[in-house]
Amino acid sequence: MYEHILVPTDGSETSEKAVEHALDIAEQYGATVHALYVIDTNAMSLSLGAEQLDRIEQGQYGEMDEVRERAERATGYITDRARERGLETVEHVSAGQPHSLIASYAEDHDIDLVVMGSHGRSGVKRALLGSVAERTLRTVTVPVMVVDNREDQ
Amino acid sequence: MTGGGLVLQSELLPQGLDVSFKVAPAALVLGMLGVFLLVGFVFRVADTEDMWVAGRSIGNLENGMAIGANWMSAASYLGMAAQIALLGFYGLAFVVGWTTGYFILLIFMAAQMRRFGKYTAPDFVGDRFNSDTARGIAAVTTFLIAFVYAIGQARGMALVGLYIFGDLGFAGFSGYQAMVIFMMAITVGYLTLSGMLGATKNMAVQYVILIVAFLAGMYVVGFSQGYSTLLPQIEYGMLLSELGSEFTEPFASSGPYLWIATCFSLVVGTCGLPHVLVRFYTVENERTARWSTVTGLFFICLLYLAAPAYTAFGTRLYDTNIGATYGDPGMAGSTADVLVVLAAQLAALPQWFVGLVAAGGIAAAIATTAGLFITGSSAISHDIYTNLINPDATQRQQILVGRLGIILLGVLTTLAALDPAAPIAALVSYAFSLAGSVLFPMFFLGLWWENTNREGALAGMTTGLTVWMIPMINEVLPTYITSSGEPFIPQLAQMVPAIGSALVAVPIVFAVTIVVSMVTDEPPLETKRVVRQCHSPEPMGQQQAAEDAVTDGGETPADD
Repeated sequence: MYEHILVPTDGSETSEKAVEHALDIAEQYGATVHALYVIDTNAMSLSLGAEQLDRIEQGQYGEMDEVRERAERATGYITDRARERGLETVEHVSAGQPHSLIASYAEDHDIDLVVMGSHGRSGVKRALLGSVAERTLRTVTVPVMVVDNREDQ
Repeated sequence: MTGGGLVLQSELLPQGLDVSFKVAPAALVLGMLGVFLLVGFVFRVADTEDMWVAGRSIGNLENGMAIGANWMSAASYLGMAAQIALLGFYGLAFVVGWTTGYFILLIFMAAQMRRFGKYTAPDFVGDRFNSDTARGIAAVTTFLIAFVYAIGQARGMALVGLYIFGDLGFAGFSGYQAMVIFMMAITVGYLTLSGMLGATKNMAVQYVILIVAFLAGMYVVGFSQGYSTLLPQIEYGMLLSELGSEFTEPFASSGPYLWIATCFSLVVGTCGLPHVLVRFYTVENERTARWSTVTGLFFICLLYLAAPAYTAFGTRLYDTNIGATYGDPGMAGSTADVLVVLAAQLAALPQWFVGLVAAGGIAAAIATTAGLFITGSSAISHDIYTNLINPDATQRQQILVGRLGIILLGVLTTLAALDPAAPIAALVSYAFSLAGSVLFPMFFLGLWWENTNREGALAGMTTGLTVWMIPMINEVLPTYITSSGEPFIPQLAQMVPAIGSALVAVPIVFAVTIVVSMVTDEPPLETKRVVRQCHSPEPMGQQQAAEDAVTDGGETPADD
């Protein structure tokens, strides 16, 4: 049923919550776990300056130490957890709008299931940020499992 | 402040300017913003699925134009002409100061900054001096620079906006104040739409629009009035004898000291401006960084060489159509700030053409303000929030903080610009004094003297901020809180003018930084190696640099 499971991560606790769910399913089906970190160009433009986007486009990702470390820490967490259970993993980093890159990754790599966390924001924060999980639901064609983080708070 | 500071600021209604809503110019301004958004959309940041594949690289011509657009704000487009018109010879300090800084950048900093390869100015300071406090001070300074710089832009946009959109005058605000609010709303709205647009391409387009508008204005005004033909930049000399002696006589309005102080501040300020320096971190290699300085300076000079001629035409037109520029009542500061537009109007050129010149000014102001707001928001969201407060911040949280930062800057700028303390160029110069006093010494010493350490940097930056604050409180604060607006201590204003405080601050900051660095412990060897790496012929990322330096012993002396 599920051979390739995609776990998009932003390195937050919320996305780490989803990891356990994903790994459990992967174990059941012996699926490969894909860890995807998307460098949100919108966030980069606001926090590092729009010029840094040119840098990524020029292929200078290699010298952007801090950005790379964050990405590797986030995907590395998933790989480590998966290895503990003896699962096969693939790590990937891309840059752009998270929901559309999650969708294109799912298409390109024959993903059967996407498992991701949601912060369950509401009110002002919701208006200012929107929800990646919600947008992904609308863009991706394969089943999506959303793990809501609110119940624990 | 001399000259402009004497003018009563409360009304801010330029003399002789046709204040009414005009269809063609309004369409031009909105069309121009539309073009920016469209170009940005066409060249928007593409999704990068493979992070290791090189895409399009930015050449030095394109980067030079982007530097030009980032650099030339309402202060260059409008404010420089205003200073030359009102204060004659003194105004040249702006032409000289705002170009000379690029030589220092070229010789001492562009390529070295590229090799250091960081993200933002506070990043450089924080990493070079291994101190979060230093990073914090640099971030606060960056935010302050963006804020002070933007006040001048808001004033420029609003004054030109009066010509295009007329007197909106809502809710008890004067026509000028209503326009400040209107224009800042447009700018913040533009920013929210343009967040992910291709930065460099868009800036190149902004540059082309503003330089075409400015040069067209100058050529057509000069030609239609019979002042000049092919080379107005030189031909305006023939007009000088007809202008008041105040226009040409050296030091007629202010002494040599103020001239030198202003000029010096603008030179070092240029080298310390975070939103200009960032263009050097991101280019492909240090060769492009160097050449970008040269092409950038060339593109800037196109406007700067034309500004004195344009001002001479404008001043002459004002003399013949409205009244004597000098003497009583003379030209007001707010009038001088729109002289570039007013000249085209007084030359009886068609309304759409005057609108083009006006729209160019607004384009210059909006482009720079957008860049400044992003720099300010990145100081808050990247340097303060992510690095100091919440190291685990997710990208979404950074967006939230960044957007709040932009809104905060927009509100602060609007409030401060409702009753601005000084003309555009002077307001912007305060930001230059700050950049020159606090950041320039850190960049310069940080890149060129490996023994500069954390204690030295902290002492130096604190000193710089203090020296900058003193004239700001003495001269600028009174214009907001007292009715006369006179400095608290006039002698101090003579010695340490707010517009040129870097002349006093820079030597003191250098001395403090060097002395404190010498009496405290040397920085760690690893830091020294990174500094040496900035001067080696091999381009490298910072991590690589440090690792390599360790494997080969790292004792090779700097060789450039």
